[in-house]
Amino acid sequence: MDTRELVIEVRDLVYTHLRDTPFAVQALKGVDMEVWRGEAVAVLGPTGSGKSTLVQHLNGLLRPQHGRVRVLDYDLSDPNVDVRALRRRVGLVFQFPEAQLFERYVGDDVAFGPRQLGLSREEVRARVREAMEAVGLDFEGFKDRLTFTLSGGEQRRVALAGVLALRPEILILDEPLAGLDPAGRRRLIALLRRLKGERGLTLVLVSHDVDDVVLLADRCFVVADGRTVMAGTPRELFSHPPATLAEFGLRPPSIMTTMHALADRGIPVRRHCLTVDEAADELARALEGG
Amino acid sequence: MIVESLELRRHVTIGQYVPTGSPLHRMDPRFKLVAFVALVVAVTFTGSYLGNVALLALMGGLILLSRVPARYVLGGLRPALPVLLLLAALQVLLYTPEFTGGEGCVTLFRAWFVHSTTCSVKLAIVSAARFVELLVLTSLLTLTTTTTGLAHGVEHLFAPLQRRFGFPAHELALTLTITLRFVPTFAEELERLIKAQVSRGADMGGASWWRALRRARALLPIMVPLLLGALRRAEMLVLAMEARGYVGGRGRTRLVELRSTPHDAVALLLALLAAAAILTVPWPW
Amino acid sequence: MSRTSPVPLVRLENVHHIYAGSRPVEALRGVSLALWPGEHVAVIGPNGSGKSTLARHLNALLLPTAGDVWVKAWNTKDPRHLQDVRATVGMVFQHPDAQIVATVVEEDVAFGPENLGLPRDELRRRVDWALDVVGMSAFRRRPPHWLSGGQKQRVALAGAIAMRPELLVLDEATALLDPIGRRDVLNAVMRLNRREGMAVVTITHFMEEAALADRVVVMCAGEVVLDGPPHRVFGHAERLRAWGLDLPPVTQLAHRLHALGFPIPPNIVTVEALVEAICRLQVAQGREQHTQKHS
Repeated sequence: MDTRELVIEVRDLVYTHLRDTPFAVQALKGVDMEVWRGEAVAVLGPTGSGKSTLVQHLNGLLRPQHGRVRVLDYDLSDPNVDVRALRRRVGLVFQFPEAQLFERYVGDDVAFGPRQLGLSREEVRARVREAMEAVGLDFEGFKDRLTFTLSGGEQRRVALAGVLALRPEILILDEPLAGLDPAGRRRLIALLRRLKGERGLTLVLVSHDVDDVVLLADRCFVVADGRTVMAGTPRELFSHPPATLAEFGLRPPSIMTTMHALADRGIPVRRHCLTVDEAADELARALEGG
Repeated sequence: MIVESLELRRHVTIGQYVPTGSPLHRMDPRFKLVAFVALVVAVTFTGSYLGNVALLALMGGLILLSRVPARYVLGGLRPALPVLLLLAALQVLLYTPEFTGGEGCVTLFRAWFVHSTTCSVKLAIVSAARFVELLVLTSLLTLTTTTTGLAHGVEHLFAPLQRRFGFPAHELALTLTITLRFVPTFAEELERLIKAQVSRGADMGGASWWRALRRARALLPIMVPLLLGALRRAEMLVLAMEARGYVGGRGRTRLVELRSTPHDAVALLLALLAAAAILTVPWPW
Repeated sequence: MSRTSPVPLVRLENVHHIYAGSRPVEALRGVSLALWPGEHVAVIGPNGSGKSTLARHLNALLLPTAGDVWVKAWNTKDPRHLQDVRATVGMVFQHPDAQIVATVVEEDVAFGPENLGLPRDELRRRVDWALDVVGMSAFRRRPPHWLSGGQKQRVALAGAIAMRPELLVLDEATALLDPIGRRDVLNAVMRLNRREGMAVVTITHFMEEAALADRVVVMCAGEVVLDGPPHRVFGHAERLRAWGLDLPPVTQLAHRLHALGFPIPPNIVTVEALVEAICRLQVAQGREQHTQKHS
């Protein structure tokens, strides 16, 4: 019996942008998705596949034109849904979130959300401290720094803290690793893992980069041309041949491409290794086996 | 009932080109611009009722000629209506004969500082008519001309000035092109910012729009990032332009040629005649 | 490929660059480098190492605060030859949106050659050629803001190469693209380098891209710390890690196997080389077993 709680349920979601205008475009043609509490789910697919449109339904920015979207105990087709309450429990971080920073001081920007909630000064301060520590920015050291003197990676973490300060139960991130250098990526991946593990956050990650996804996601949904075309664990997903994945604008993780190349040339290795560690062990095993 | 989702691009009609293949669309942008200026002059200096009736009839004819639905052309009027009405009311109630000029102003109503005369009523009506005429002219210009057409038109028109007096014709046209090119980009950026700030608790949607607008501080989360983004983008654009050898308009050649036809000359002539006629006829009323 | 001519395209001689401000930053500290016709150079390094600053000295967007930069026979400090320098060294930047000036693709590509004052038929020829090389000919009359990121970058690339530069600099030009866009831009760049003989300098965070170059230059804290072919540079795994840099996945694999005791060279940068090494190893193992069986 499944004791897990289904926190997000999307059934046959249809959405057309700029409906009834000459510029209408049908972004979603029937998408399905389920997310259980505490897991990390990746939404994969090429640009223009409708991923961003999909996740904007999850915090009420867009409403289903057809189909069902249920998040926690909110049904998004109901016009009387308290969207503000929903947004306190579901945090959405857009791509390049550092672009939304506007306060002079880091602490003030992180405090924006809690202040909007009408909390007391002490409570706001506590939330800001908590959120900043969660993203690895020392409260005392960073709260009075000038926002725009921080590095790109630091600014991104400030933006993330701004959303975490609302204490969401579900965190949705649209391309969280876009534009970061390798060190920044590693740091953010570790951060997200911590948020999931230590704070029990449910994560939904939209990404077009598969290398990072395999390190973070428990399950994946592939959205192509406005529909869910594949679903499963990363391992299940990438056990499909590269040609099938390419049809949906995906490529296997880089290390898997190498393993495919080795296997194609007759070296007796298992193709479906997701990380360098797995690949190294697999190759070592194959070579020792002689 | 389905709730409206936030879609700003629905409302961006400035700089919107609606291709219908009409004669107005096909007109050479240089001739169109000159005709536009001539008609604007006519509108600006026509203060009589009948003159404006003639102009409004002309506008109607141009709308028909453009084959763009009148509803769409006049759509830009709706947001401006409250301001227009306010202005008209002020003009009717407060403009004294000394201010409005014209002889034979009959006082209709007078109390304290309120002073309405037939002249102030006329001014109010004529001003409103002028506004509609200018709106239609400007809308028709951008609805029937592509942004590149406009920019090229401007550049070609000012080119002789550039050659002789070093007038920055190309810079002007380039400024126009870049501005128009970035309008959709900024609309998207604005929409994204609003969504991002709303997602972290900002109070901006639905009925609280007006409440939020009155509190200037509430606009900061939108205005600051938008302006910063604009500045950053401008910086990058300048670098890219310099990297491609841009040193101003002098000595530049052009890929695109504008080719005019006799139709264009005829159209321009008609526009000039109409403008001249409306301006010089001694309208009795 | 490289070294077909004894004269470098670009020469940096002890270049220093200090960004002025309340806290001056010395971004380049005595960089000396030569770039040769037709070569493909990757420049890697952690953030803040001076890579972008270096790139902008190549086409005189920045001038050295000390030292000299020579593009062919011209010193970048000489304002008389600014356009010559910019026509010789082209550049594509990171943000797809912030490079496109015009409202129609082919007019944007023509922007550079128009600045050079070329006659109209030459403009047309260059625009057609550039769009063809990057594979965007079908989009010539479209408005740029309807294109995807990868398509926009290819338009920006066309705009840069339409000036027929001898050296093309890509400043993290693929960083903001999805894998498909990245692949399309890279393919176009490889075509330019291999088929058209254009020298290319790519600044990148993607080690798989750097592994494809003829030469890798590693920068750290404003200095060049490593400079050589990929298999030599990526052999210095510990030093690269200390500087906060990754290895290409293939190299990571080879390195790991080497650490486990297998006689695989740890500086392999291509899949083919890894395959070869493993096959050789298997053959050697086979022979060993054979010897063992028969002794």
